[in-house]
Amino acid sequence: MKRVAKPVFFIVALLILILSYTATFGVKGQNGDNTTTYIKGAGDIRWGIDINGGVEATFSPETKTKATKEQIDSAKSIIEVRLTSSHITDYELYTDYNNDRIIVRFPWKNDEKTFDPESAIQELSATALLTFREGGEYTTTTTGSDGQPVYKTPKGTTAANIILQGNDIKSAKAQMIQDQTSGKAGYEVSLELNDSGTQKFADATQKLQGQIISIWMDDVMISSPRVDAVISDGKCSITGNFTAAEASSLANKINAGALPFKLTTTNFSTISPTLGASSLHAMTLAGIIAFVLISLFMLFVFRLPGFVAVIALMGQTALSFAAVSGYFPFVNSFTMTLPGIAGIILSVGMGVDANIITASRIKEELWAGKTLDGAIQRGDDNSFWAIFDGNITVIIVALILMGVFGPTNILSMIFGPSTTGSIYSFGYTLLVGIIGNFVFGVTATRLMTKSLSGFKFARNKWLFGGAKA
Amino acid sequence: MKTFHIHFFENRKIYFAISIGIMAVGLIFNIIFGTQLDIMFTGGAVIKYSYTGAIQQETVEQVVQDVAKKDVSVRILENVKSADGSAAANNVSISFSGTNSISVDDQQAIAKALTAKYPDAGFKVVESSSVNPTMGHSFLLKCIAAVALAFILLILYIAIRFKKIGGAAAGTMAIIALLHDVAMVYFTFVIFRFPINDNFIAVVLTILGYSLNDTIIIYDRIRENRRLLGPKTPYSALVNTSINQTFTRSLYTAGCTFAAIATVFIVGQIYGLTSVTTFALPMMVGVVTGCYSSVCIAGPLYVMWENHKAAQKTAAAK
Repeated sequence: MKRVAKPVFFIVALLILILSYTATFGVKGQNGDNTTTYIKGAGDIRWGIDINGGVEATFSPETKTKATKEQIDSAKSIIEVRLTSSHITDYELYTDYNNDRIIVRFPWKNDEKTFDPESAIQELSATALLTFREGGEYTTTTTGSDGQPVYKTPKGTTAANIILQGNDIKSAKAQMIQDQTSGKAGYEVSLELNDSGTQKFADATQKLQGQIISIWMDDVMISSPRVDAVISDGKCSITGNFTAAEASSLANKINAGALPFKLTTTNFSTISPTLGASSLHAMTLAGIIAFVLISLFMLFVFRLPGFVAVIALMGQTALSFAAVSGYFPFVNSFTMTLPGIAGIILSVGMGVDANIITASRIKEELWAGKTLDGAIQRGDDNSFWAIFDGNITVIIVALILMGVFGPTNILSMIFGPSTTGSIYSFGYTLLVGIIGNFVFGVTATRLMTKSLSGFKFARNKWLFGGAKA
Repeated sequence: MKTFHIHFFENRKIYFAISIGIMAVGLIFNIIFGTQLDIMFTGGAVIKYSYTGAIQQETVEQVVQDVAKKDVSVRILENVKSADGSAAANNVSISFSGTNSISVDDQQAIAKALTAKYPDAGFKVVESSSVNPTMGHSFLLKCIAAVALAFILLILYIAIRFKKIGGAAAGTMAIIALLHDVAMVYFTFVIFRFPINDNFIAVVLTILGYSLNDTIIIYDRIRENRRLLGPKTPYSALVNTSINQTFTRSLYTAGCTFAAIATVFIVGQIYGLTSVTTFALPMMVGVVTGCYSSVCIAGPLYVMWENHKAAQKTAAAK
């Protein structure tokens, strides 16, 4: 048998303990009043609407004909502007072009006193008010989800003088332009006005040459370009060192103000924050009790391999937390829901299976008369494929769960993204749990067991399930 | 070390009888109660409010019906505990008949009307859900497609991995065991009158994976024993030995998984979290039947099939 050095056990166990601690509590640095989070812990987990409370709504255009992709994108951008303007930064927004649906999901803010989801939904889907105004004065500034400043509420002349409204605009398109002198490619938004708007705009650009005309969506300023020339033919372009994304976003927003349809709410569901908090508390309690019960069982029935199993399970659970909270920089943080927590608990119950199979096998080999080292080696080898096959089937199921209940993917080509997200979280935690099982329940367990068996006190068949010497 | 010597193959008639018996009971319940699909599949609307004090069920029904112009059914749940220690409140649940969704305006109007009727009750929305029937149906189709896909992938996997011991037979018998488990989970929903919702789909898919996991352990042992005991050993003896050897492990794992889910169920029951309990109870049943179907159904069926194939071969040779 390959000898595994004795310190290996301590190294592996220590690594698992560090992972568990940091995954649960995170690593935070205190710098005066600021707390910088170096590594996210379980407290930073983003909870879904069934825990935080929140709203999920599906909007559809109220029109007989099918809406174009651009129209849906424009409608989506209205909703985005409004979400940002209401300080809702943590939202999920999906578009389904095939079925003309926009699905939005956002949690209720923790400090919000009143839970009035109906108003929130109505605000989001109300017809957009697009205005072009004189000047660029605003009342308040806030920070948007991308860190950019968001200017709100026009005042003064800007509030008084409206140059154009949504129905004056024919279309806005993002264009790529070639800079003649430098040869670099840039992006601009080319604007085309209706007859009603052309004259108004010609007058305004004449009067305001060299000054700013700001563009507003409802109460939020989305752009404030300077007037370079008089625009008399109703066609102009808005430049401003835009990237492709910025130009396209601005064009969408302007188009949104000119949408020929209204958005109606076809589906909605809301959950109050109080219901959610209670559920989270209960599930955490259940998880801890389940973990303790399983640990006691393993220790009692399998002794030394049981002890190793408990450490491995701890590592697997920590990995689950880490994968969800955004602990690893290369894994996005994930919205965790109640079924998601159930998934962690379930994968602990199923993950312990790997240790049970291995330990049972070792016990069998000992009773068949093998030496301690031989039994451990044969136990490990013979049990591997059974564990592997079993875990693969759960991975297949977890992937299907994620595919059916999550946002756009292959299955969505047939049926469109679903409106249920909470089971997606369950599939994800199940998947992470099984991967964690491969890492900890299989590899780490084998390392720890072999390493521990090197110690004198552990050279006792009884500790591994054999007969008392 | 305890070794079992249960005659799984010989006792198969008993096991089949138990399974068929339970399914018959489930079927009777199904005929009596009917299949109740949750609104997320059919479309419809439900609003749940919390309130303090006392309200009349009939009055609430009348008020809501006047506003929404639809029939409603109202249920009152008193003293719902909260896990985070806040005071217990009363809940009233309003279900709208029919499969159409209600508009946001309607929901606001209902809230207003109720507050006007009972100004001291302090109605607060606990949860609400309104689903458009077309979306509900497309979601149901997607879920069914997912379950079908899972079946196909899992059976393919078994057929490939266990080619040496008759992949097709192994795969087919595993399907029967899985269908058995799905039926049991379904009947749990029916008997306890849980509406079929996304929890059902999640539980079915999970139990598919779990039960197959169990079945694989047994097939893996059969494969190993086939190598050890040689090709002359009759299938019944081979399978009996294999199942007996893995029996402890099957029990332990089922026990651990069951304990984990049972804890979730009990805690959910104490705090009245229906979303959790409707998920956990069928899962508990699924874990038990998953173990039972792998041990008592899949194994003996596999032997019957292989014996049948062998008998056909000898008959053809004659």
